[in-house]
Amino acid sequence: MSFKRFDAEDIAIGADAITAPVWSTGAPILSTFKTSSIQYATKNQYHVNVFQSTYTDPDAEVQFDITYADKLGRGTTLYNPSVPGKSPSSAIYGQYRSLVLGDEDSDFVFNADTISDNFYAISINRSRFKEKLLPGTFNLTIGSKTFTDNSKDVAVLSFKDSGRVYQVVEGTDGSGNPLNTTCYGWFLPDIGTILLDATLLSYAGVTALVGDNFNEQNSQKLFNKLESFQLNSEETVTSNYVFVRVRNSEFNYSVNPSNITGSGDLRHDYMIDAPQAYVTSVGLYNDNNDLLGVAKLSKPLVKDFTKEALLRIKLDF
Amino acid sequence: MAYLDNSVVTVDAILTKKGRELMARGDGSFRITQFALADDEIDYTLYNPSHPSGSAFYGEAIENLPLLEAFPDESQIMKYKLTTLPRGTARLPIIASVSNVSLKQGQSQAITPETLNYLGNNNTTENNGYIFTVADVRVASLFTGVGINNDEAIRLNNITTLGTNVSKTVIGTSLNITSTTVNTLFGNRSQLTTSLTIIGRDSGARVTVPLTIKKV
Repeated sequence: MSFKRFDAEDIAIGADAITAPVWSTGAPILSTFKTSSIQYATKNQYHVNVFQSTYTDPDAEVQFDITYADKLGRGTTLYNPSVPGKSPSSAIYGQYRSLVLGDEDSDFVFNADTISDNFYAISINRSRFKEKLLPGTFNLTIGSKTFTDNSKDVAVLSFKDSGRVYQVVEGTDGSGNPLNTTCYGWFLPDIGTILLDATLLSYAGVTALVGDNFNEQNSQKLFNKLESFQLNSEETVTSNYVFVRVRNSEFNYSVNPSNITGSGDLRHDYMIDAPQAYVTSVGLYNDNNDLLGVAKLSKPLVKDFTKEALLRIKLDF
Repeated sequence: MAYLDNSVVTVDAILTKKGRELMARGDGSFRITQFALADDEIDYTLYNPSHPSGSAFYGEAIENLPLLEAFPDESQIMKYKLTTLPRGTARLPIIASVSNVSLKQGQSQAITPETLNYLGNNNTTENNGYIFTVADVRVASLFTGVGINNDEAIRLNNITTLGTNVSKTVIGTSLNITSTTVNTLFGNRSQLTTSLTIIGRDSGARVTVPLTIKKV
């Protein structure tokens, strides 16, 4: 017998939260920001890709996008001059309204009771933020001002259609400056997005222009003021824990060709009375005897009639 | 007084090629229900019963061996399984009567293994049959185990894997195999070679033989 069935309690499922810097540099803070001239030339009315190094570098990857949204379609050229209000900026506004508010009749209200007709959206590359952003790690310096989420200041979580919502406030590491309670936007960890009110961002020296039917290149204006960006991602890794329990009387013989002669005799007579085997691998099988997973030990584990073994196998998905 | 040895060893497992295929299939076949232990990489000729320091050191050379990481190819790992046998066993079961298998395109053959040295008997067919695994299922248009009619064996015989270089496993006291008639698999070659592994379900005895398909 070379297979042993697991009991029900031998297999357990665990979930671990893994956090890590968002940026592909592996560093917690990104302070070099580059754009692609090719992407910018064709898509700047919609969004600007931001890289961690010159986009022609082999390791250059998009870290996040900056986009500008305007309810009235200002700041970008109209799709059709005879159709007022319909431009890339209004399309972006509608996109985020649908995504975040889930209601075409709702407005964005970031600070007090003031409706925000235009805002910037920083959308983190999906492969960078993995599953969600980690509140409390967000520090964005624009000009001379540093903004963070207020996750450490709030006692009750707020939710929108896009999941959790934290206010973007002046401060660091999830705590706002008590002397400045202005909410500059929303930090949306579940969709990897940060919204910043375009009007209020003049506090940091970013002035969005709202010319009608004119490409004001507002995304570039925010890009030009970026100084540093710190952010961590959070991912839940689900693991199967399999407990392999080997009793003293089990698995003490090996059919390894170096252990037996051609006729099946044990190579070493000493092992007739004191058989020993060395475990190096654990195979995980289904009912069909298909080998689904395999675990290797770091060194051979001696098994004989006087030893029992308990191995915990971790299988990540 | 000394620290107690931690009795639980934690090791990370990887999915095999077959495991990934079954997970992608999503039909419930990716369900871990049993395990086996193996001693791949161990060379028992390194075991030294004449070690001058005594029996505690007989396995010294083996026990300090650093091991390689796991291979994802299920046909290249878990080759030599550990088995449970009564204490005092001097001869281990081996599979006899199966040697190299060579077929022409489209040819059929029945393979009936026998086990030597199992529970004091010679040339016995194991009650629970044998596990037959072909490393590359594409070489066989028919690969069916016969002689064992439980649910597990029937289900295995009915599983179809198309177009990918993965293994296939069936159960039976005999194996019926028909080689492929597909010419494109050969390319410019005159023959295809893979391996056929046979494992006794009761004894754990194992043999791997080359399986050659010759183009007609």
